[in-house]
This record gives sequence, structure tokens and C-alpha cells, in this order.
Amino acid sequence: MNDQNIIEISKVEKRFGTFTAVSDFSLDLKEGEFFSLLGPSGCGKTTALRMIAGFQDHDAGTICIGGQEMADIPANKRPTNMVFQSYAIFPHLNVGDNVAFGLRKLGLSRAEIKTRVADALDMVELGGLQSRKADELSGGQRQRVALARALVMRPKVLLLDEPLSALDKNLRETMQLEMRRLQQRLGITFVMVTHDQYEAMTMSDRIGVMFAGKLEQVDKPEVIYARPCNRQVASFIGGMNFLNARMTGDGGGRMDVDVQGFGALTIDVNPNVRIHGTDLLVGIRPEQLEIGADRPEGYDGYLQGTVSDVAFYGESVHYYVQAPGTDDPIAVAVPNYFHTVDHKRGDTVWLGVQNASIIDLGARESQK
Amino acid sequence: MKIVTRFPWLLVYAIAYLIFLYAPVLLLPLFSFNDGTIVAFPMKGFTLKWYAGLSGQETLLQAMVNSLIVGLVTATVATSLGLFAARAYVRYQFKGREVSEGLVMLPLVIPGIIVASSMLVLFLSMGLKPSLTTVILGHVFLALPFAVSIMKSAFDDFDQSLEEAAFDLGESVIGTFRRVTLPIVAPGIIASLLVTFTVSFDEFVLAFFLSGNQPTLPVYIWSQIRFPAKLPNTLALGSLLLLASVVLLLTAEYFRRRSTKSA
Repeated sequence: MNDQNIIEISKVEKRFGTFTAVSDFSLDLKEGEFFSLLGPSGCGKTTALRMIAGFQDHDAGTICIGGQEMADIPANKRPTNMVFQSYAIFPHLNVGDNVAFGLRKLGLSRAEIKTRVADALDMVELGGLQSRKADELSGGQRQRVALARALVMRPKVLLLDEPLSALDKNLRETMQLEMRRLQQRLGITFVMVTHDQYEAMTMSDRIGVMFAGKLEQVDKPEVIYARPCNRQVASFIGGMNFLNARMTGDGGGRMDVDVQGFGALTIDVNPNVRIHGTDLLVGIRPEQLEIGADRPEGYDGYLQGTVSDVAFYGESVHYYVQAPGTDDPIAVAVPNYFHTVDHKRGDTVWLGVQNASIIDLGARESQK
Repeated sequence: MKIVTRFPWLLVYAIAYLIFLYAPVLLLPLFSFNDGTIVAFPMKGFTLKWYAGLSGQETLLQAMVNSLIVGLVTATVATSLGLFAARAYVRYQFKGREVSEGLVMLPLVIPGIIVASSMLVLFLSMGLKPSLTTVILGHVFLALPFAVSIMKSAFDDFDQSLEEAAFDLGESVIGTFRRVTLPIVAPGIIASLLVTFTVSFDEFVLAFFLSGNQPTLPVYIWSQIRFPAKLPNTLALGSLLLLASVVLLLTAEYFRRRSTKSA
């Protein structure tokens, strides 16, 4: 990755009739970056991707790729290639002809095409399958052919529309790692659309979280996880307990808050939050809470409550604790170190939390 | 089979129905081998002379050629129109799509005699004399619903991203149509050509009104049926047409199934 911007999108808007699919969409992508657009279905992420690809024109704003304005350049002339959600493998062509499809327009010699097809298939570990028919491929193989067919064109930007959603869980996880490795080796910018938060987090350098046509937050996965800009983003990525809080004083990047149930604490101001106020919303990740039958030592805030539910996930156990002064039960995730479930429904337990685990999510009335 | 043993009268009903439907049609080839001019039992003996006699009849051959021309042109025009119309119906949402689809399908339910007489009036008022051209125009109108519905079923299972993928890989709009759309819907196109050809080849009412002094085969057959001596010849001709129609439709069905499977 270097510091050159390969894609510069500024204030792009797209309307379908009266419905605004994408609005005020601005984004700069670096060369060699793996970027994911993450959001629920219907949030406009696919529309955004299709505008970059050139399948959809935008109503306002500019899209530049490699320093060139794309407004009047159709999809077949853009330095981008796309991997479709359905893979769109041409059913009447074999694997080799599928991969060679775009090369035939470039005026290359037959030998050159043959070498490039072979290299591309080797790259996705389908070497030697040139003559395999399209309907004889498994789901994973179709995905690889689609990838090879796009990469063989040597695009500046590869666009991926939910590329792994059709695969089963194990294959999906293998392909995630493989695609990430491939992207790093080739140094091509990847822009992926996904609704799967784990896929986005494991594969991407940066993630853009979209809701209702707007890009809410763009950041590294670990920053989005630790400092989400509002409740929507926080609840879409990972589990999160939301608690009301009152600000009692602030200064020097920190503020004193009175958190529902836990009492007075001093927390960091979240720089990603846009609107602050006296009435705040804060979040606590379930895995960052300590739970014990006795009051645990060394925490900044405590709360006593009753276990209302226990859920066993294998690698972890989730306890839901109902406490006086809080609305919803608080979720606590405990790693399953010793193969024991320590608390059961109706037990009285203590929860402990550290200042650093409390995430400032901004003014409560600004939350959707 | 279980349902048949439980309701034996269903089997009787089915057989009676099939006899009612197909017996008259089967009598046609049967009597075409009959060594006698009267179409009645008992039959006299086996002969192929009615078939042999077909080749020497100048007007018959001319009618056959007329029918082939009309059928081929109709099939080509109707299938081309149907191809583009079906792609638009399946792909795009536009104002008046349903109305336009309904209008295209209308010839299936309008009585042929109404269409034929109004077309004759229309063409005459336009100064267009009845000829093979007017028959072709009429037949295209009649065959279009068949072409559109066959092509629609070919496009229904056609993943739109296939065309987008081709375009994305640098192909032009026309190149995409040629290298991806056409090959994938090709079985549908063949099925549509065969069906529309058959529709045109067998059509009588429109051809009768619009053909003027250039009769197509069905019109010629009708003119011959009035002469008892010519009847066995006509039966032989009819049997051949029946065979050709069945073969064509079976081939069309084969390609139609292939087109739905491949996509």
C-alpha cells in the first residue's frame, strides 16, 4: 500500500425516483488497499459499488479513478473489473474461454492469451482446468474462475459484490484468507461489498459502514470496533451493551460520567462522535466485562445483579444479568477456558468494568 | 397408476378423450394409402400412388413454395421481433410494459376471421394488393405471441449479470449481445423459429383472405377438397404436412427445454 489515492469519490448522490439510494458519499481509497463497504441489505452499498464500476450513473458529485473523472466513461472502458455475487460464469464457455473473454478484446497474440490465462488460473489454484465446462464447477471453483477472469485483466481496482455469500461457512473462511493473501501479493486495490461484519473485519485494511445511503464511519476494523461513532455502527459490528449516562464534567480528552447501574466513572472522549451533550449513550462490549459470584478486585465500576439467562456458545459462555437501575439485561461473554459454566439462572453476581472499556457514543438524542 | 386403479372410470375417460381428439387426424394418413377415391370403409387396398402423384402437380408445388417463403420470412421476422421484445419485457421496468405485453398476446384470443377481414380492409385501403407480402404481415402478427412467450422463457432464467460481466470485461454493447446473449438464448431462438414457422405453415384463415392469387398450401388444399377425384391426393399431402408439423414441434420442444436447462 502506498499513499497515492487510486479512487477519489466526492459528494456522490444517487436517486431512484423519489428514493435516495446514496447521498453525500465521499471516500478516498489508497492504492493497494483492501476496502470493505459494510452495511445491512438495502443500505446502498451495492449501488455505490455499481457506480464505481459504471453500471449506474450518479446524479451528483464526482468519481475519479487513477486521477481521471469517470462521469462519461462507460463500464467497459473503466480500469475496474468486477466479481459478481452470482459469479456470472458464462455457461456456454469453458473455464479457459471464460478467463480469456476480456483478453480477446485487447489484441493480444494467442500465445500471450494462453500464458496469461494459465497464470491467472494458477493464481487461484485452478491450474490445468482450462477445458472444464462451466456447469461442472463447484461453488468454490466458480468463485475462483470469476476472480481469475477479473484479475487477468490487470485492473487498477477490483470490485467484489458479496463475493463469498454463496459459499458455505468453512469454504468461506478459507476463501477469506486466500483472497486477502492474493490481494496483498498483487497489490491491487480491492473494494468489497458485504453485509458480514466478520468478513469485513478479517479481510479489510479499512471498512466503511453504511446505513440508509450514508457512509457513517470509515476506519480500520479495530478502530471501528473500539470507537464506533454512534449506536447504529456499534450495534452492527460485534455485540454491545448500551447504557445511558450523564456527563458531570469534562476536560483534556476525558470526561466524568455517571453511568446507569455502574455509577461515577471517568472515560475517554470518543473522537469519532459528532454530537456530545449532557445526556450520553455509552457502550460496553460483552467480552470486556468481568463477572463473579464475589466482587472482583481492581475494577473502576461495579454492579450487582441477577443472572436472567445463560447461553453456551462453545468457545464462550454468555450470561445476561438483570440489574436494578438498568433497562435491558447486560450481556457478559466469558471465554470457555476451563469447560465450566460458573453461574446459572437466578444466581446473584457482580459485574466489574474498567474505565477504558466504556465507549462514549455521543449525545443520546442524536441516536437513531 | 395408483390413481387409475382407484378411479377406473378415469382411464375410460382418458381413452375416450384421446380417441375423440386424435382418431380423425389418424384417419387422414390411413386413407392416404387407400387404393380408391372414396373415403369410406371398407378400404380397397394399399397404394403409394397418391403420394407419387403429388410430384407432378405444378400448382401444388407452387403453393408449397409460397408456403415455404411465407413460413421462413414470418419465422425470421417474428423471432427477431420476439427476441428484442422479450428481452425488454424481462429486463426492464417501463411504463406501459404490461399493457404492451397484453397487446402482443392479443392475437391468441381474437377470432381469426375478424383479424383476417379487418386486415384485408386495412391493406386494401392502404393500396396493398393481396399477395404473399400481405400474408407474411398477417402471419407475423399471428406468430408474434408465440415468439415472445418462447423468448421470454429463454430470458427468464438468464442471469442479467452475465451481460454486465461481459461489458465489464471490456466488450461493447453489440459484442456482448453477440458473444454472450445470443449463444445463451440460441436454443430459444431455434425453438421460436420452428414454432413460428409451423404456425405460419399451417395457417388457413388469414392466408385465405390475404393471399390473392398466390395460394399457400392450406389454401390450395381447401380448393382441392371440393373435387372428389383430387381428394386422395389431398389426403396424401395432408399426411405429409402432419408429419412435418409433428417433427418440427418436437424439435422445437427439445430446443426449448435445452434453453431453460442451460441458463
